[in-house]
Amino acid sequence: MTRATATATAAKADAIVRCENIAVAYGGFQALQPTSLAFAPGQIHALVGQNGAGKTSFARALAGIVTPQSGRFFINGREARAPTVRQVRQLGLDIVHQRFTLPPSFTVAEALELVSAKKHGGAFFSFNALARSWLQELKAAGLEVSPRARIRDLPIETAQSLEIARALAGHAQFLILDEPTALLSPSGVERLFARLRQLRAQGVTLLVILHKLREVMEIADTVAVLRGGRLVLPPTPSVQLSQRQLSGLIIGEMPAAVPGASPREDASIPAARRGVQLAARQASTRQSALEPALAGVSLAIEAGEILGIAGVEGNGQRSLVDILTGLMPVAGGSVHLLGQDVSALTHHQRRALGLRVVPFDRLTQGASLSLPLWENVTVCDAPRFRQRRRLWLNIGAMRRAARAALQQFDVRYDSLEQAAGALSGGNLQRLILARELAAAPQALIAAQPTRGLDFRATQFVWQVLRALKEGGGGILLVSSDLDELFHLSDRIQVLRGGRLLGAFPPPFDRRAIGDAMIGAQR
Amino acid sequence: MEQFVVTTIRLSVPLIFAGLGGLFSVRAGIFHIGIEGLMLAGAFVTVAIGSALGSVWLGIGGAIAVNLLLSWVYWFLIDRLKADMIIAGLGLTTLCVGGTAFLMSAFFNKRGSMTSQVRLPQPVVGPQEGLLAYVSELSLLAWLLPLFVLIVWLLLRRSRLGLQLAAIGEYPYAAEAAGVNISRSKLYAMLITGICCALAGAELAVGGLAAFSENMTNGRGFIALAAILFGSLDPIRTTLAGLFFGLANAVGINSQIYAGASNVPRQFILMLPFAATIFFVTLRGYASGRNAPRVS
Repeated sequence: MTRATATATAAKADAIVRCENIAVAYGGFQALQPTSLAFAPGQIHALVGQNGAGKTSFARALAGIVTPQSGRFFINGREARAPTVRQVRQLGLDIVHQRFTLPPSFTVAEALELVSAKKHGGAFFSFNALARSWLQELKAAGLEVSPRARIRDLPIETAQSLEIARALAGHAQFLILDEPTALLSPSGVERLFARLRQLRAQGVTLLVILHKLREVMEIADTVAVLRGGRLVLPPTPSVQLSQRQLSGLIIGEMPAAVPGASPREDASIPAARRGVQLAARQASTRQSALEPALAGVSLAIEAGEILGIAGVEGNGQRSLVDILTGLMPVAGGSVHLLGQDVSALTHHQRRALGLRVVPFDRLTQGASLSLPLWENVTVCDAPRFRQRRRLWLNIGAMRRAARAALQQFDVRYDSLEQAAGALSGGNLQRLILARELAAAPQALIAAQPTRGLDFRATQFVWQVLRALKEGGGGILLVSSDLDELFHLSDRIQVLRGGRLLGAFPPPFDRRAIGDAMIGAQR
Repeated sequence: MEQFVVTTIRLSVPLIFAGLGGLFSVRAGIFHIGIEGLMLAGAFVTVAIGSALGSVWLGIGGAIAVNLLLSWVYWFLIDRLKADMIIAGLGLTTLCVGGTAFLMSAFFNKRGSMTSQVRLPQPVVGPQEGLLAYVSELSLLAWLLPLFVLIVWLLLRRSRLGLQLAAIGEYPYAAEAAGVNISRSKLYAMLITGICCALAGAELAVGGLAAFSENMTNGRGFIALAAILFGSLDPIRTTLAGLFFGLANAVGINSQIYAGASNVPRQFILMLPFAATIFFVTLRGYASGRNAPRVS
C-alpha cells in the first residue's frame, strides 16, 4: 500500500481532478463515505467495485448531479463549489451516464443541442443549420450518423458514441464513463476501447467505471477500488496489480470457503413433493434495453433445494426471473413448472399451479403501498374467499386470514387498515413473505429477498426460506450478496452476460465464484 | 358560408390561445387541468379592470398579472409542495369558477352576467355588404393568431427552452443530466400558459361579445386540452385541432339556427361538438399506438 500512497501523493501535485473528503448520502443512506483521491492527467483511470460500492454516487457527485454531503473538489486546480452540471462542464469535466441521457423522441441534432454547452445559432435555431453544425462535430468525432435520425432508432453502440461525442463537443478534458461496456457487444467494447485510447492520445483524461476485471486490465492505466462506500485502493498503476489481488479487494477478504447448507435428506421430503419443481430448458429472450438477452439458459430446481444464482447485477437476472414468472415471454426454449410446460401460461396461471415470487423490488413490484395491509396479503388469493355463488368476497374471512398470516410472519403493524407504504422495509418484506409463503408453495423465486434489510430482518428471511426448503419447496434464490448465497444455497450458478455458467457445489469457493462473476481469468 | 368560416375562426381563437399556451405546460409533463380556470379568470379580470379603468389594454394587462400570480401558486403547489397536479389543477379551476362569480357580485353587484364597457378593437373593417361582410367581426387577437402560432412554434420547436421542456416532459433524467433546472423551467412553462390563457379569456369576453357571464368558458379549457392531445403535443397540429373543434362548435350553432323548426332537440345539437371531440380524440389515441403522446 505504500507504493499506492506514493502514487497518490505524486498525483496530487499536478492532478487534473482532486477530491477531498467527498461524501454522498441519499436520505439516511450513506452511499459514499468521505473519500479523498486525485487523478493524474492524460491517463485512463478505472474505478471498480461491487454494486452499491458507491461508484456511481462518486461519479454523480463529481459531475454536479448530486450535491455531496461534504467535501470539496478541484478541477484543474480550481475549486468547484456547490457545483452544478453546467459549472462542472465549464471547468472541463463531463460524464457519460450508465443510462443514456438523450431523449428517445428527439432527433440527434436536437438531443445534442439540448445537452451541449454552447448554443448553435441565436435564440431560435434553424433546423438545417443545427443539423449542419452538428454533422461537422460528429464527423470530427469520426461518427457516421445522420443528425436527423431519431435517438430511439439508434443502435445502443451508436447512442453511446453520440454521448461521448456530445461530451467532447463541450471540450471536456476529464471524461467520466459510468459502466460504458455494460450494454455493448464484445466487438463494441473493442471499438469503444480503441476510441478511449485515441482520446487519451489527444490528452483527454478518462475515468471509467467498470465491472469486468479483464476490461480493467485491458484499458486502465490506474485502478481505484471502492467497497461498501469506502475507498479501499487509491488510484494505483494497474501493472502493479493482478486480477486476483483486485478481485480480493473488490469482494473483500473473507474465508476462502464457506460451508454450504446442510445436505438434505430425501427421506424427510413427502413423496408427492419430490422431483423437479421448476426448470428452464435452453430459454432465451430478446434483447432488452436494460440487460443482455438470455442465451440458452437451462436450470432445474428440485424439491427441497435452493439453487443460488450469483452474478453482477444487470447480467440477465431480471429477465431470468421474468421468464420464470411469466412476465416476459421466452423467445426460444421453454419453462417448466412441476413437470408441465408453462411457457405459454400467464403469471396468473403459473401462480395457480403453485409458483410464488418474492420480487426484486418490494416497493414497486412487491406490494401496493396505498392499499391496506389485509388487502395486500389476500389479494393474490382472493378467489379463495368467494362466497354466495362466487359473487361476493368474504371480507371478514380475508381479514382473519391476513391477521393470521401477519402474525405468523411477525409483521409489526398498528391496524389492518393501515397502508402498506407505512411499514418499514423489513416489515414490508415480511408482509410479502407472509403473502407468498402462507400456502407453503412448491416453487418459490426469491429475488434479492434481503436487499436493504438489517441484520435481524435478514436472519428472519433466511430462516423462512430454509424452513420452506426443509418442507420440500424448491427455491430459486437470485442475489448479488455472496454471503447470502453461500449461507442458503445447495448449489450456485453464475449468470454473466445472459449465460448461466457452471454449477458450484459446496463448499463454495468465494474466489472461483467471484472470478466467474466478473469474468476474471487466472 | 362566409359567416360560417368567420364563426369557426371566432370560436377557434380562444381555443387555440389556450391550447398553445397549455402546450408549454403539457410538453413539460404537466397535465394542466387549470387552463379552464385561468381562461375564466382572464375573461373576468379583462372585463372588470377594463370596464373600471376604461381601457381594454389595462384590462388585459391586469388579466395577465392575475394569471401570472395564479400560475405561480399552481407551480408552488405542485412543484414545491408536491401536490397532485390534477387535483391542484381542478382546485384552481373550481376556485376561478366560484371566485369570478363571487367577485362579480361583490364589486359590480351583478348576478349571472355583466356587460363590458370596453372591447377589443376589430382592426379590419370589411365591406358592409356582400361576401366579406363578416370579417369585421374578427378582433385584433384573431388577426394576430398566425403570428402567435409562429412564435409558439419557434419557442417550442426551435429554441433551447422548447428542447428543455420537451426533455423534461419526455425523459426528466435527460434534462437532469443536461443540467436543466427542471423546477425553474416548469415555472416558466406555467407562467407562459397563464399569459396565453389570459389572452384566451380576453378574446372570449371582449373579442366578439362585450360581456362576462358566470362560467362563460363552459368547458373550453378542457376542449383546449383535448386539442393538445389530439394534436399530439405539436403546436401546428394543436392549432389545426383547435380549428377543428371551433368548426364543430360552429356546426352546432348553425344547425341550431337553421334546424330551429325541426324536431331535433336543441340540447342534442349543442352536444354535437363535444361528441365530436370525444370521438376524434379517441380515434387519435387508438390510431397512434405507440407514438401516442405520453402525459403523466
